[in-house]
Amino acid sequence: MKKTEIEFTLNGKKKKVEVKPSDLLINLIREELYLTGTKYACGIGECGACTVLLDGEPVLSCLTLAITVAGKEITTIEGLAQDEELHPLQRAFLEQGAVQCGFCTPGMILTATALLKEKPQATEEEIRDYMRGNLCRCTGYVQIIKAIKSCTTGGEN
Amino acid sequence: MEKQQFDFVGKDFAIKNVGKVTGKEVYSGDVSIPGQLYAVVLRSPYAHAEIKKVDYSEAEKMGAICIGPEDVPDYLYNERIVSIPDKTYRDRTVLPKDKVRHVGEALATCAAETEEEALAALKKIKVEWGRKWKPLVTLEEAMEDEAPPIHDYVYLGEEKVKIKNNIACTRDIEVGDMERGFEEADTVVERTFSTPRIYHLQMETKSAVCVPEADGGITVWVTSQGIHNVRILLGNIFNLPLNKVNVKRVTLGGSFGSSIQMNSITPICVALALKAKRPVKLVSTREDDLYDHAKYPLITKLKVGAKKDGTLTAAHCRVWVEIGGHNIQAYPYLGCVAGWFASLYRWKNLKYEGKAVYTNKVPTCAMQGYGNPQINFAVESLMDILAEELGMDPIELRLKNYVGKGEEFWGQGPTVRSIIRSCGVEEMLVEGAKLAEWEKRTLPLEKEGEIRRGIGVARGFHTSGTGGPNPGETIDYSGATIKINEDGSVDVLTALMDHGGGTWEAAAKIVAEVLKVPYEKVGIYNVDTRTTVFDVNTHATRGVYCGGGAVKYVAEKVKELLLNYAATLFKDLPENLELSCNHELGQAVIYPREIPENYKTLGEIAEYAHITSWGTLAYTATLRQKNCPPCFITHFVEVEVNTRTGEISIPRAVILGDSGTILNPALWEGQIIGAFSRGLGFALLEETKYDLKEGKLECKGMITDYKIPTTLEMPKLDNLLVRSAHTYEPTGPFGAKGIGEAALSSVGSAVANAIYNAIGIRFYELPITPEKVLKAWKEKEREESQERVGDKLNEY
Repeated sequence: MKKTEIEFTLNGKKKKVEVKPSDLLINLIREELYLTGTKYACGIGECGACTVLLDGEPVLSCLTLAITVAGKEITTIEGLAQDEELHPLQRAFLEQGAVQCGFCTPGMILTATALLKEKPQATEEEIRDYMRGNLCRCTGYVQIIKAIKSCTTGGEN
Repeated sequence: MEKQQFDFVGKDFAIKNVGKVTGKEVYSGDVSIPGQLYAVVLRSPYAHAEIKKVDYSEAEKMGAICIGPEDVPDYLYNERIVSIPDKTYRDRTVLPKDKVRHVGEALATCAAETEEEALAALKKIKVEWGRKWKPLVTLEEAMEDEAPPIHDYVYLGEEKVKIKNNIACTRDIEVGDMERGFEEADTVVERTFSTPRIYHLQMETKSAVCVPEADGGITVWVTSQGIHNVRILLGNIFNLPLNKVNVKRVTLGGSFGSSIQMNSITPICVALALKAKRPVKLVSTREDDLYDHAKYPLITKLKVGAKKDGTLTAAHCRVWVEIGGHNIQAYPYLGCVAGWFASLYRWKNLKYEGKAVYTNKVPTCAMQGYGNPQINFAVESLMDILAEELGMDPIELRLKNYVGKGEEFWGQGPTVRSIIRSCGVEEMLVEGAKLAEWEKRTLPLEKEGEIRRGIGVARGFHTSGTGGPNPGETIDYSGATIKINEDGSVDVLTALMDHGGGTWEAAAKIVAEVLKVPYEKVGIYNVDTRTTVFDVNTHATRGVYCGGGAVKYVAEKVKELLLNYAATLFKDLPENLELSCNHELGQAVIYPREIPENYKTLGEIAEYAHITSWGTLAYTATLRQKNCPPCFITHFVEVEVNTRTGEISIPRAVILGDSGTILNPALWEGQIIGAFSRGLGFALLEETKYDLKEGKLECKGMITDYKIPTTLEMPKLDNLLVRSAHTYEPTGPFGAKGIGEAALSSVGSAVANAIYNAIGIRFYELPITPEKVLKAWKEKEREESQERVGDKLNEY
């Protein structure tokens, strides 16, 4: 299959890559660009572990064709911290014990980032509803919800 | 209880997990080696069929490297080598030689430059099938006389064993005189219970990367709960010296027991790499993963006798487990089920009969509890039934009969037992009842309306490791190397695995506490089998108690070396020196006890040891724990049953745990809450169903069709209370025992008991799905209305 050159912004930096029309965004990110924080866990859009932000919106990179991100802005978990400073959600996840095996964590944090942008004052109910597509098998979600809650305006942080 | 002041134990630090929130943590599938090939696996479409020939010549013409049944060693192995060799059943090869035994069993494999090319090559593999048998999906059909044998012969240790009626193994145990015990009983209750074959659904699918080395050896990055067992197995299978197999420890993306054994894709990846003479990477798809492991289901027929006052007199427990196409250690499983059963209550006279049966399904293995949640569901349901028959409060009956301090606990079947030295059972039942407002509960008959609320209680436990005064059938030891660097920082080299529950944090805190070194100066890094001594596995809730125990032992040896050396510097005796943490300096300091101001920092001492060529302050050792203390748990769960839809929700829960000293409070709570979520899946949602005709998984490899709890099923934040008992385990590191598997053991039982309290219907089979609730509710309504009609007619 013929490769096409695309240009997009990845974690704030311009990237030029060649992709085939069938290439998936998750494989481009993980196997070509070696950003392995984006996790493969189901490959068919069932679990949310591969979530990345596309122009600020959460998308499943396992269901997104790489070619469609041309001209757009992708944020992966590696692009969330500013220099050495962790993003408030990253810090909150650590402080609340919301991280166990850590495999769902990148997808959780990125989805939560989009949630807080959309609804900075999200209630517990809204957090549960927004996060329900991200599966976690270790934590039982409670400390994840607490961590996100602590980052809402009017939250504990 | 011993009171201790700790510098680090019992405090939360958020430092160790930074890689997990920044995307830098490395799991096996994240490893990439220049020049690596990508591997994919061909799986059987049939449940039970003879393999005549696997022809991959067309695939190799496309440039792929392939492996088929003929290419793998004849060596028969069991992928889980936690038990001693004499008690280990061996029935499998890397790829099946003669026939497949379940749909999805790996049959052949291809590696190519890209995954796409590998998949294209895989399609060119031709399989010639011979005889096909009707899949044996249920336990009953598998045991029939005319059922086709799934295995003719297997090995138990070195002994060849004939398999009859597909019964993989049995285990019978008797204590006391059961017959007499039942004669002494005033009340006898008997019921049959069953728990589902569920899927672990750990987020990380099993993955491996293998590099063939110049010396003929291999380096492997692998999803595993115990890297040394993978090393030994790979060495045995591929006939490699055990020092030429190096298994790298990488972070585990959840496991819950599914990687105690070496996963089936690991030797497949190795076989490909050895043939290709190039690095090979194999990442399981979710469907691949669903064909690799599932939780042991269990059918339990349980009969219990008691006197009028609630004193138990006898129990008869018969269990059957269908294990799938291979025996991943069903023998110790049957022993453990017996042990959990025997240790829950003082039965006095008991008889246990267990049977494990091969079926044409995915092989089953441990999943958080190794039979504990399964047998707990039977016992804790029956205790409630018995309490009702006796007219007793369920809590009172439990308090009267539980096995506690000073009594014997079977930590890993009948051969690993020790005396309980710390026990929070009474405290948890009594305090939990207050917190859950147990006395306000009403009877099923007193409830009305479409939505009915009920409360249930159940208690459980798990062992902390598999050590006993005498070594039993299970191998259990851990080890570490600990060294103090030239600046006073500390490295801990241990093969101990962490599932994410905090085992590494706990180990680091233990070292920090012994050496009084600030926690952030203790490093636990990803090591490998070549640079570490043996650690059996992080299973059996042994991480903190056994792994942590070994780390503490080694740290104390390092402390001895340190004090001896410091004594030469201070020109004093080691016993006159004090080691403490100076939090202002952020350093451990040593000083003569009488003159604290005369201190030297650990950094200064280590630096001095270095420049005077005194040597590295380091020690290596392994340790076997000689006890298996139970960590106890108690669940008070409230349910709401919608009698119109059959749906069940959980408005409130109170959970109490007894882990002795708690090393990582936030993660301890997290493990309890996580287990509660998985327990709700076990109780209400999950089961890998098979179609009976073809023996295929009904979910077809998709997790959309295998539902697990999401954010929506858990009680609201304010309605979930987690509390700890006040106990101290004298044999544990700083008084600690485990938590992991205990936390799950009584969730299903408490939920089922709560449902009974809500609607007056007793469920004997998990999961309790809305369909089952609705069906049972309609039957109950029909029976009640018939009774009403009957009563009315009687009036005339």
